[in-house]
Amino acid sequence: MAKKPDLLPGTLDMLILKTLTRSPLHGYGIALSIKRLSDDVLTVEEGSLYPALQRLLLQGWVKAEWKMTETNRRARFYTLTPAGRKQLGVELTQFEQMISAITRVLQNVQEA
Amino acid sequence: MNPVSRFMKKLSMLLGRKQFSSDLDEEMTFHRDQAEKEFLAAGMSQEAARYAALRQFGNATRLKEKSHEVVGFSFESLMQDVRYALRQLASNPGFTAVITITLALSIGANSAIFSVIQGVLLKPLPYPHAEKVVRLFLSSAEFPKFPLNPFDFRDFRARNKSFESMAAFTRHDMQLSGNGQPTELSGFAITSGYFRVLGLTPSLGREFDWNAEIPGNGRQIILSDHLWRTRFNAAPDIVGHSITLDMLPYTVIGVMPAGTEHPGNDYHAVPYGESVDVWAPFEFEGNPNQRGSHYMEGIGRLKPGVSAEQANSEMNTLMAQIEREHGGSGWSVLVIPLYREIVGANQRMLLVLLGAVGMVLLIACANAANLLLARAAARQREVAVRLALGAPCRRLIRQMLTESLLIALLGGGLGAALAEGGVKALVALLPAGFPRAHDIHVDAAVFAFTFLVSILTGVLFGLAPALQASRMDPKRGLYEGSRASTGTTRQQRLRSVLVVSEVSLACVLLIGAGLMLRSFLNQLNIDPGFRQDHVLTASLSLPNANYKADVDIARFYTRLMEGLRSVPGVESAGAGSDLPWTGYDENAGGFRFEDKSPPPHEDFHARYHMATPDYFRALGTPLLHGRFFTDADSKDAPAVVIINQAMANRYYPGQDVVGKRFTFEDHPKDKDWMRIIGVVGDVKDKPNSLGAEPAFWFSLPQAANPDMLVVLRTTADPRQLADSLRDQVRRLDPSLAVADVRLMDQVASESVATPRLAFSLVGLFAGLAIVLAAIGTYGVISYSVSQRIPEFGLRLALGAQPTSVLRMVLLQAMRLAFGGAAIGLAIALLLARVMRSMMYGVSPTDPATFVSVLAMVIAIALVACYLPARRAAKANPMDALRAD
Repeated sequence: MAKKPDLLPGTLDMLILKTLTRSPLHGYGIALSIKRLSDDVLTVEEGSLYPALQRLLLQGWVKAEWKMTETNRRARFYTLTPAGRKQLGVELTQFEQMISAITRVLQNVQEA
Repeated sequence: MNPVSRFMKKLSMLLGRKQFSSDLDEEMTFHRDQAEKEFLAAGMSQEAARYAALRQFGNATRLKEKSHEVVGFSFESLMQDVRYALRQLASNPGFTAVITITLALSIGANSAIFSVIQGVLLKPLPYPHAEKVVRLFLSSAEFPKFPLNPFDFRDFRARNKSFESMAAFTRHDMQLSGNGQPTELSGFAITSGYFRVLGLTPSLGREFDWNAEIPGNGRQIILSDHLWRTRFNAAPDIVGHSITLDMLPYTVIGVMPAGTEHPGNDYHAVPYGESVDVWAPFEFEGNPNQRGSHYMEGIGRLKPGVSAEQANSEMNTLMAQIEREHGGSGWSVLVIPLYREIVGANQRMLLVLLGAVGMVLLIACANAANLLLARAAARQREVAVRLALGAPCRRLIRQMLTESLLIALLGGGLGAALAEGGVKALVALLPAGFPRAHDIHVDAAVFAFTFLVSILTGVLFGLAPALQASRMDPKRGLYEGSRASTGTTRQQRLRSVLVVSEVSLACVLLIGAGLMLRSFLNQLNIDPGFRQDHVLTASLSLPNANYKADVDIARFYTRLMEGLRSVPGVESAGAGSDLPWTGYDENAGGFRFEDKSPPPHEDFHARYHMATPDYFRALGTPLLHGRFFTDADSKDAPAVVIINQAMANRYYPGQDVVGKRFTFEDHPKDKDWMRIIGVVGDVKDKPNSLGAEPAFWFSLPQAANPDMLVVLRTTADPRQLADSLRDQVRRLDPSLAVADVRLMDQVASESVATPRLAFSLVGLFAGLAIVLAAIGTYGVISYSVSQRIPEFGLRLALGAQPTSVLRMVLLQAMRLAFGGAAIGLAIALLLARVMRSMMYGVSPTDPATFVSVLAMVIAIALVACYLPARRAAKANPMDALRAD
């Protein structure tokens, strides 16, 4: 089995927050969403997902409540808080800076 | 998010822990179910889908743990560790008890010794800015620490620039009467400013001023708090009142507060502590140009920014000036910080004891580590399972350390309790007059020390087993753990190293104890120059008011001796200016013999004493030549002296000295010549002196001395004669106090108390050490035998003789013992320098001690491994085969 690329360190929180900007989702939904949106490239391990969600809860960037799914099962839905939205902005800016920096390095090395 | 609300959130999650856990459970179940559904939808069978979902999800417990770690407090997992550790310890009570008791004993011993060190060495002296207080002595090659002359002192005080204040004092005991039983008081004559130097002020009244130093300016006295309370009912108006001392009225001008500590002195020593009852003013009497007599103890407080060394060099300049003005015999001045003077002599012994007890602790640590390693082997399977289930290494190490710390703290708690009792025993064992003995308590600092030592101990002995366990490969652990035999060679090597270090440290301690035992025995067995058994002693002091003339003094003592001789059970009765080994140090210089004078710029010196005719007979000091004094050697008879062997050897080696004469006068008349009539055996100054100082004795009537020590040699128990002695004194003078009634045995045993203490403690520690080392050796050998039982069985099955198996095991133990002993002997050789000053009549590298310790260690190792070795030799080949 080919090994799937790992998530860049530190990006999981950002991806979760971004996923939640559209609508509240349960844990499985978040994992599924990231997988689909990345065309199956990124897989969120459950071992990282749930501790990450607890971390975000603790920071007050998301909040959680139990709701019923379409199939009538109880599930915990996570919603982005205003603080979480702000945090997402910070993380996106940092991430873009990082990516553009990495890109510049790669291009310069190619041209030399 | 701010830390406070974050903390509150965590707290609420912690309180709703059950909720949190079930939420998480439900959430994860939901997740798994959804995944399973998706696999089903993709066309998997029901069962395959469930396994796929489970596999994808991974270790659910570990997952939950991870989420818990995010929200949990770190102490939560610590509490888990502690609970787990407690369960482990409780499930193994024997193991826990052995290791805890070992640690409690060694930590307790450490805390007890530390209490002494804390009280004696670490606590500051009870004087404000005590570091500025110094003692002043004269010094020469012959007398390294000599008292000052009063007029020299007065010049020092007037001319120096280094001292804020300077004072001098000298022993001046007084007799209190007129208010109950006559009592002998421990007193000092002090110059003005004495208490200012110490930084103390009277609680009532004031201290002496300069006026009081002028002879005839009225008799004034300062009382101690103790005397004020016990004899004067703490009368608040005592200042200004008159009390009777030495039969004369003295006006009380002050009372010193409780806790006024005497700074200690050398000359007619009174120990450091609250040992002084009264202080009288010192009066500068006599001719300031005659400066031959030295009896003052100097003390001073340095100005800020002046060091003891700077003061010392200034004082030497002053001394040189003074000697130019008045002549002198080449004295230099010695300025010593008070702290060093008080505790200096005992510092080394205490540090040696601390070192010894520290070694015991190290051995106990090694032993504990060994036991833990052995148990770690037994717990290998448990560790392997936890590792396989995904427990992080860090967590395992922490778990192991938690266990060892718990054991150490348990041991430390018990040890603190032991220390409490140990310190009381220790203080009781300390020699009389040990400086600051009353400052020794188990206090907060001692508890802090105990706690710290426990923590360090726990980490020290827990680290090796913890690292060892965490480095294990779980697969091998699971596989090997299924059988009892597991220990890796690496672990076995580590345990052997531990045992070798235990044995080596125990060796060092045994050698130390052996050397101290030999020193102590040497001091007990030396011929002291007198016979201490069957001797009763007491001190008497005749007040000047009633015994003005020498003849009065002589008549009193002559009549007392006559009376005592008539008491049944008294063999001989004498009196002398001093007793052996009581710190008497009166020296006279400047004499010359008829046919022998000192070389220019040098003085003949000797110690002088006074004695009645039967003094030597009562003490049991032998007469070597000539005769003792008789009653005929009276005031009007020709002057006679008895000298000791050391003085005879110093001035007339190998010659007959009886009949030779010497004098202190520059232009002697015939009566100024003192004829030597006898030579007595040497009595060493102190039990540990290598020889005796040259000394001579005056016949009491020819040099009357009001303060004498009575010596009674008895045929029966000398204790029974104490009352007869008091009766005889009362018959002659009912106002006299009979003080310090003691047996010469007591005096002698007090003087060897320090070596006895050092030897007993180091001996105790060494005993503990060797027992621990033996247990360690037994543990390692026994463990290695139990592992090799199949091998031994096989060997025996293949025809090996049981004795050769026995020899194999014994050889293994011998390698450990010899290795340890060799290292131990090497360390002991290195430490010899430290020990030298504590030795008496034995070299710190004494071969006999080294060889016997070596033999002892080997013998003990043999005993320790005999049982396992026999077990190996009896290994049943069938058992061995079945086990595989």
